[in-house]
This record gives sequence, structure tokens and C-alpha cells, in this order.
Amino acid sequence: MLRHLLKLIWKRKSRNMMLSLEILLAFLVVFAIVAFGLRYWQLYQLPTGHDWKNQWSVSIRAAQDLPNDPAIYDQLKRGLLDLPEVESVAFSSFGTYEMSRWTEEYTLPDGSHELTIDGMGVSDEYFATMGMRVAQGRFFSSMDDNADAAPAVINRRLADKWFPGKNPIGQLYVQQTRGKSEGQRYRVTGVVEQFRSHGEYMDPVDFMLSRWIPGVGKEAANNIMLKLRPGTPRIFEARLNARLKQIRNDWTYIITTQADARASMLKTQTIPLVILAVIAAFLLVMVAFGLFGVLWQNTTQRIPEIGLRRALGADAGAIYRQIIAEQFLLSTGAMLIALLLLVQLPLTGVFGETLNWAVFGGAAVLSASVIYLLSLLCSLYPGWRAARLSPTQALHYE
Amino acid sequence: MFRHYLLTAYKVFMRRKLFTAINLLCIVLTLVVLMVVTALLQNTFYPTGVEGKSERFVQMIMMESTHTEKTARRQGTLGYKLIDQYLKPLKNAELVAATSFPQSVSIYQEGRVSDQLMRLTDAEYWQILDFKVVSGRVINADDVAQGRMVAVLNESTARKLFPGQPYLGQKFSANGQTFTVIGVVQDEMHVNAFADIWTPISAQPSSDYKNNLFGGFGAIIMARQPEDLPALKKEIMEAAKRVQFDDPNFFNTARFWGDSKLALFSRTLLSSRAEDGDAGTLLTIIVVLMLLFMALPALNLINLNVGRIMERSSEIGVRKAFGATSRQLIAQLVLENVLLCLIGGAIGLAGAAAVLWWLEGSGIIPYLKVHLNLTVFGYGLLITLVFGVLSGVIPAWKMSRLAPVHALKGNA
Repeated sequence: MLRHLLKLIWKRKSRNMMLSLEILLAFLVVFAIVAFGLRYWQLYQLPTGHDWKNQWSVSIRAAQDLPNDPAIYDQLKRGLLDLPEVESVAFSSFGTYEMSRWTEEYTLPDGSHELTIDGMGVSDEYFATMGMRVAQGRFFSSMDDNADAAPAVINRRLADKWFPGKNPIGQLYVQQTRGKSEGQRYRVTGVVEQFRSHGEYMDPVDFMLSRWIPGVGKEAANNIMLKLRPGTPRIFEARLNARLKQIRNDWTYIITTQADARASMLKTQTIPLVILAVIAAFLLVMVAFGLFGVLWQNTTQRIPEIGLRRALGADAGAIYRQIIAEQFLLSTGAMLIALLLLVQLPLTGVFGETLNWAVFGGAAVLSASVIYLLSLLCSLYPGWRAARLSPTQALHYE
Repeated sequence: MFRHYLLTAYKVFMRRKLFTAINLLCIVLTLVVLMVVTALLQNTFYPTGVEGKSERFVQMIMMESTHTEKTARRQGTLGYKLIDQYLKPLKNAELVAATSFPQSVSIYQEGRVSDQLMRLTDAEYWQILDFKVVSGRVINADDVAQGRMVAVLNESTARKLFPGQPYLGQKFSANGQTFTVIGVVQDEMHVNAFADIWTPISAQPSSDYKNNLFGGFGAIIMARQPEDLPALKKEIMEAAKRVQFDDPNFFNTARFWGDSKLALFSRTLLSSRAEDGDAGTLLTIIVVLMLLFMALPALNLINLNVGRIMERSSEIGVRKAFGATSRQLIAQLVLENVLLCLIGGAIGLAGAAAVLWWLEGSGIIPYLKVHLNLTVFGYGLLITLVFGVLSGVIPAWKMSRLAPVHALKGNA
């Protein structure tokens, strides 16, 4: 039976080739969208490593670079903690759910294993403010004041890369420098499972949180993170801004609740997916129409052939099955070729982790189902039309 | 002859109404998407209205600072000092405007917080851009010189902040400063015009901005006439060579370029350092993407057309037997297809207008106003023709190749 169908398809190879090409292209489009969507879904399931429900961020803008003046930061901290709504205050080099990113190159003390690592400088209170949990070791604090190397908290991914099979706590690494000067040395004090500063849809990266101390070093912290009492209304922003202005009048403060920042971040990141999906839907509708038209023409052309089969005793169901089976075979062939091309992507690793095998498999299965469904829907009516004809009608059809 | 072809085409279309409808639907869907994209691109890069003078001005948002002996490189926005000292004296420039980028500010009113985007501008900004003033006046040179705490709002923001009240003379507080509304302008969505609130550049708590070579501003430089633009661009690149840095040990070489809208976009996107910002490369990328997008619908149409033409094999056989050349047959079949595409194009244009109307109303892109002008129509026609020929040639060529004997018998 299968050999028979294949032979029929082969006989009409030039037409079927164009049809296959169309199905192949449609499959590629659906695959791209589904893979994109599945990757987002996968990322959404991963923990971000920090809370957002009661956290607010205040970004400081000034005409000049901020001075790293301990007195100002002390004033800010006291002034904010005075407000009854504020539970905890921390400083960081930038906020979460922001597009900001800071990367630098680091190596192990012997100069090997160079990695580009995302970093963020945070004050000691940051971990409590952001509701972070340590997986191993401890968060840095004033205990590290006189340590020989700067304390740092790294994420599990980085720990596994640099210290596989070893206890990462207490290990050293250094900042890479191009010149002769010695880079800053860091000692791992703690490991967190995950830290993704851009939020739910950020690809996991190697991340380190280094200790920022008011008045130490040249860089000032541009961001204040606050943990507020649950249920604080949005209008608290006015009082918060007034209090900040009392402390430093010439600075501008951009206050965002992390809940809002998260919502807008998620929205921004899903917009490309939505646009792609709309375009893909357009294309699929078009492909469906085209497939329907072509199949209808095909069956119309083949009515005498179908009549012959009916005359030789095939029932309507057999004709129906033949039309649908032929279409399925054609779709399968096209999709196999497409998959053969697509499988190169995870094999060569062009997209890295973004297109991992789980995503690839899921996307292949889902998009194949979409195409099969499409083929089935498009061949139902032409199949029914061909099967309905009585043998006498079909044989005489002009 | 031509009339004959048209008549045949009409008869063929009417014979299989469902097919013609499916064909037409595919064409319309494709063309609507392409035309909406074209209209949006056209509107962005060659705008009319508020930035209608764009063929006379160039924009600058970035400068590159490097050191001849070090590896450090800074690419960032311009400082006011740079615009004031190096760009304002340009000989080919009629007007030079400095404007900050829209920054989010919170406005606190009784029991209400609203986030708005605020832009700091000088007086020249309002002379280069043609805002439509709804009421009051825009910021003038006097406001900037005096550092008056005044603000211009756009209609949507005015409605949002002061519903049901007269807008002019209202006071509001932003960034801890109190501003008085002096004017209301129409909503605009363009790179330079976009903002909710405009205030004078001097209405800041400190005047430190005047001493900075880096940070926070962009420039719009307008020539006297469009022909002066090439000279102006040259002059701007020359001006970059004269820039004196505050600390020559850190940076000693500046580079910046005056760009048209398209070039600015491609320079930012491709981080280009070429004189024209690699605008050509960007255009090529856009055209290739559009062609790729057309590939699937075109293939679809080819499949449908092959079927339709096959049905007419006996007609083609007769014509061949009476001496019609392959070229004539191809011409006829392609013409039929182009005709169908033109009908689809006309419907598609109406569809694109409807989609754009919906897009403007939906607020997905704030303040969007797209004008379907003659240029967009022209591009639409071009796209339609390309699409028609693309999807018509292969089936026609295939059919015209048939031997007359087979074609006459109708078994291709």
C-alpha cells in the first residue's frame, strides 16, 4: 500500500516538489515561532533568584558623575529607614528588571579558564532586601571587612564551570587586566542557585555579585533598592520622592515598583514573539488556502483515475484514506528534509543554549502536529468530494 | 491583442470563482502585510508633518571618543558644551538645536502618580520641527535665556493630567520642580519630536550641563537648503577633528557624523563608522527580508497557478498549433497573473489603510500617525508587480514548454 502511494506521488514529482517546498517553508516558519515560544516558556519556569512583589527601585540621575561619599549614602539609608513603610534599604550599581548589564573578564588565579562574567556591585543589605536565599556558604557582610580578597557571591552555573567537583566556597579568582597592573582578587563566600537581573526571560549567564561599600572605591552606587511593607500603595512614591529630595535636592530620582518594572519588561520581551506569531498566522492561513486549492485541483484532475478504483471495488472510505494518506506522506517527506536541515542548528550550536535539545524536540513535535493538522483539514473536503462520486459519474467525468 | 488578453483573463477568473477568490485572498493578505511595513518605514524615514523638513536637517546622537595610544573607547551621547562650541558655529548650518532624550518623570497630583516622558529643548528645536500648536505658544529663546519654569504638553498628556480643565496656566510638579503650562501641541510620534512634556533646557536645578562634553543630548542641524547637506556633513566631520577634550590623557580623538534618519538608524543598528552610516546595507537587508517574506506566498501562488494553467492546456495547445510563440504565451499568462495581483493590490491598499487606522487607534505604538501618501502607493504598486511577476513566470514558462500534441490532448 505504502509503496503504491509513494509511486503515485513520484509520478507527479514536479508538482509535488513545489508543494513539498511550500510545506517545508511553512514548517520552518512554524518551527521558528514554536521554538522561540518554548524557550521563553522554559526560561519562565526557571527561578530568577530575587523577589519583586514588595521591592521598589530608585535610580539616581545627576548632571555629574555621582561621588562615592559615605556620608550621603549614610544619610540616604537613615532617611529612608525613618519612613514607616520601608523595611530595608540596599544600594546596587543598577536595578533589577532593567536592561542594564555590566560584564568583565575574569580568570582563575593561575590565569586559566578566562570567562566573561556579568557582575553587579551590591551593598551588604542587598540580599535581605531582595529576598535572596544562599545555596551554599554565606552572603558577604561586615565579617569580610579585613579579608585578603574582595568577597563575592556567584551563581551555581559559574561555580560548576570553574570549580567542578570541588567546594566553591573559599576559592579565589582574579579580574583580567590588559596592562601590567594586578587585577582585583575575589574570594567566593557564597553560591546562589540562580541570579537573573533582567528577570524571567533572561538567558542564564555566569553572574557574580561583588561587595560595594559606601566610600570605598571610585564607583558610586546609582541605584537604591527598597523593601517595603506589603500593601504599600503606589502613592507612597510622592512621599518617598519628597524625602529623597530633602536629602539631595539637585539629583533626580526615578522611582519604579519592581512589579511595574517586571510587567513592562515581560511585555517588551514578548513583543517580538507576538509580532512574529501574527505574521506566521498570516502565512499559515495563506498556506492553508493554497494547499486546499491545490488538493482540490489535484483530485479534480484525478477523478477518472479515482473512478477506475471505485469501479474495481474500492469503497468511498478507501478513496478518502488514499487522498489523506498521500497528503500526509508528502508532508512527512517535506518535514523530514526540513528537520534534517534544522538539526544542524543544535548540532553546531549556533544558538548555544537558546536552542537546546529539549526545545528542539518540543518544537519539532509541536510544529509537525500543526502541519499535519493543516494537511488533514485541507484534504478533508477534496477527499470527500472525490469519494462521493459514484463510479459511473467518475469514469465519465470531463 | 491586449484587449483580447484582458477578456480571456476575465473569463478565466470568472469560470472558477472559488479559485480566483482563494488566489485573491492570498495576494491581498501578503500585500497588506508588505504595504503596512512599507508605510511604517516610509513614515519613519521620510516623514511629513512635524519632521517634514527632514530633507534639510541631519541628526547626531552619538560621538565616539578614542585615544591614539590607548584602547579605551567611549561611544555615547553628546554634551551641551560640544553642541554649543563645535556645532553651533558651523557655516553651512542655518539652525542647530540641542535636545535631551525623553526621560521618564513622575508627576504627583493629589492622590495620583503619572509617569510621563519629558524632553529638555532649546528654542531652535521648535523652529526646526513643525509642531501643530493647539493652544498657547511653544518655548522661545527668551524662556531659554531666562531659565523660566514653563512646559509644553501634548494633547494626550494635557487631557490626562488636567481632565476637564483649561490647560494653559496650570501648574504641575515634576522632579521636584514646579512648571507652568504655556502651550499644548498635537501628539507626535517621531524620533526627534516624541515626548509628552517639553521644558526649556535651562529649567534644571543646576547649570552644570553647560560644561559637559559628554552626556544626555542630541543635536539637530538644519541646512539652508537640501543641496547644502553634503557640505554640511563634511563640515561636521571636520569639526570633530577640532574637539579639545578636558583630559587629553584619557581621550584625544573625537569622531561624529551628521546623519539622515535612515543613516542614523543604520548607524545605531549596525554600529557603523562609515560616512553614510551604511544606510545602503540596511536598505538591502530590508529588501532581502521582504523578498524572503514574499517567498512563501509566492510559492503558494505558483502552486495554485500551475493547477489553473494545467486546466487550460488544451487552449494553450490550440494556440501553439496556430503558431503562437512561447514568449507570447508567457506574456499572456504573466499578464493574467499581474492583473490579478493588481486587483489584489487595490484591495490590499484598502486593507492596509484599515490596518493602519486600527494600529493608530489601538495605542500599541503611542501617538502613531501614518499617512498613506502617493509614495507609499507607488511602493505598493512596485511590490505588487514584483510579486505578480515572481509568482507568474514559473507556471507560465512550464506551460509554454509543452509540446503542442500533448497540450492538445490535455494530458500534460
